[in-house]
Amino acid sequence: MIKYILLIGKNLRRNVLRTTLTALGTMVLVFVVTLVWSVLYLLDGIIAEKSSNLKAIITERWQIPSQMPFAYASSLAEGAARNPGDVRPQDSMSWQFFGGALAPDKRSREDLVFALCMEPKKLATMMDDLEDLPAAQARELQANIRKMESNRQAILIGAEKLAQIHKHVGERIKLYSVNFRDIDLEFEIVGMLPPGRYNQTAIINRDYLNAALDNYPRTHAGKKHPMAAKSLNLVWIRVRDAEEYSRVADQIANAPLYGDPAVKCETASSGIAAFLESYRDLIWGMRWLLSPAILVTLSLVISNAISINVRERRLEMAVLKVLGFRPGQLLILVLGEALLIGVLAGVASAGATFFVVNEWLGGVTFPIAFIPVFFIPADALWWGLGIGTITSLAGSIMPAWSARTVKVSDVFSKVA
Amino acid sequence: MPSNGMIVRVKGVHKFFTRGSEQVDVLNELNLDVPEGEFLALMGPSGSGKTTLLNLIAGLDRPSQGEVWVGGEQISKMSEAQLARWRTRHIGFIFQFYHLLSVMTAHENVELPLLLLPLSAAQRRRQVATALELVGLTNRSRHRPGQLSGGQQQRVGIARAIVTDPALIVADEPTGDLDAKSADEILDLLCELRETMNKTILLVTHDARAAQRAHRIQYLDKGRLVSSEVAMPSP
Repeated sequence: MIKYILLIGKNLRRNVLRTTLTALGTMVLVFVVTLVWSVLYLLDGIIAEKSSNLKAIITERWQIPSQMPFAYASSLAEGAARNPGDVRPQDSMSWQFFGGALAPDKRSREDLVFALCMEPKKLATMMDDLEDLPAAQARELQANIRKMESNRQAILIGAEKLAQIHKHVGERIKLYSVNFRDIDLEFEIVGMLPPGRYNQTAIINRDYLNAALDNYPRTHAGKKHPMAAKSLNLVWIRVRDAEEYSRVADQIANAPLYGDPAVKCETASSGIAAFLESYRDLIWGMRWLLSPAILVTLSLVISNAISINVRERRLEMAVLKVLGFRPGQLLILVLGEALLIGVLAGVASAGATFFVVNEWLGGVTFPIAFIPVFFIPADALWWGLGIGTITSLAGSIMPAWSARTVKVSDVFSKVA
Repeated sequence: MPSNGMIVRVKGVHKFFTRGSEQVDVLNELNLDVPEGEFLALMGPSGSGKTTLLNLIAGLDRPSQGEVWVGGEQISKMSEAQLARWRTRHIGFIFQFYHLLSVMTAHENVELPLLLLPLSAAQRRRQVATALELVGLTNRSRHRPGQLSGGQQQRVGIARAIVTDPALIVADEPTGDLDAKSADEILDLLCELRETMNKTILLVTHDARAAQRAHRIQYLDKGRLVSSEVAMPSP
């Protein structure tokens, strides 16, 4: 067996340039497939319905983006429970979106900060991916939450965004709002968000924004801010299971409080799935056009290289047959060469993609469905193995069959 | 069929190829017996069927009709996979153009047929060393074909043919690509193998001088054995 593998290795070494180019081609294509599949994998994971401990999202029923009065927040957080026996959510969180620029007349990427206004303590209990952080990051997050609770001008910013706006922890900034006109707020950067999904996001204390909206009439002749009744964008709730979710959704749908505007409650997964509807064609294309096209291209690259290899070595195949190699052994020899390239290049590429994207680049920037960046899942290492194996087998089966069916007498009659 | 001391028995063999709708007869009602230990030369003009006959005896092709028996086994009935297995143990093949694998050393080329047998690495090493010693190339075992002369490459080819200790060695124009001196050395080596190891040798050649080293010369023409000549006394 070892001798057989060595024989395969020697065959691949006979044209190092071709083998290297085939391996590089495989690596590039596996890299692209890994990126595409990582995005699809994460989206699939997000929109997959959970059976327990599920999150639901409450938004305005008829309008996107959802703009509800902040007065809805407290009763929605209770799941609109108003009668004895009504179900109350286990936890909840409200989101108000605040976008601001560092200078009043600048709107470039380097000047804009997008912040979620929320209760600081909900950061650790309701935000995706922040519930089970490594111990050190969890401690740092708790410390930052305490700072935000004691100082409502505090802001937490993701590392990437912080670098983008050229600011550091400890500095003060003023954000000129782009969606709450004339609500310009000063902040103290008290820390960074844990690395990963929230690298481009900022978090501020909702009390600060709401106080500014409350104070607005004092400086504007008693007139309320135009967004005063529309500042609540989303409310998240967590319920125990699907049955509880169904009851809470009913309570909200039947509550008389939410008439204008009307609201709807859906599971987070179906809410995000509905949001992703606008990306449906893009996602469909990635899943059913781009990925298969890359896999077919990869098979063709391997097929081309192995076909040339076999065609050049027909005489050698005939000699091996004369020496006693059986047709099946020649088939395995050729398949083995393709597999060795495909599997090694596939695993190396997926491993390198995992390391470079996650550890070095800090994720793939692909802002969609509240997810600014995507990370390569650990499963990608298996994808590399699988893609390498399947495409190399698919690409080499025809040339391998051709090697298997080499007719010795024909080959030697041509040589003579 | 009883062997009666014959290692090769070719009985009523007919071989034809079809080219479009046309049937091209290559061998016609051919009968040939080769005793064990004989050095037989097959001669004849191009297209006479020498190589086809050699291929049938070596199990590289099958007759359209008739029987081919080698070492008491009817190989003309074997499947391709069975023939491949059989060849590993029973046939040593020497080519005109050596056909060594260029990426392998002399040692690795000689070792190739042994990879198909259930032998340990140490056993393989010993057998390869013995074969290379027999052809006088012990000191060239780490050289690749490109680093060897034509005569040396053919010696490696002979070592590869004998490394599994087959009873029958078939050689298709083994001196056709060599200068006279190297050709003589190769023929000396084949004679030595026959004498010291009692190998049966079938040699296809156009070279009358080479054929004269055989015990018997069989002439083929248009797919038939037309005459036989005793060149040297049989063993």
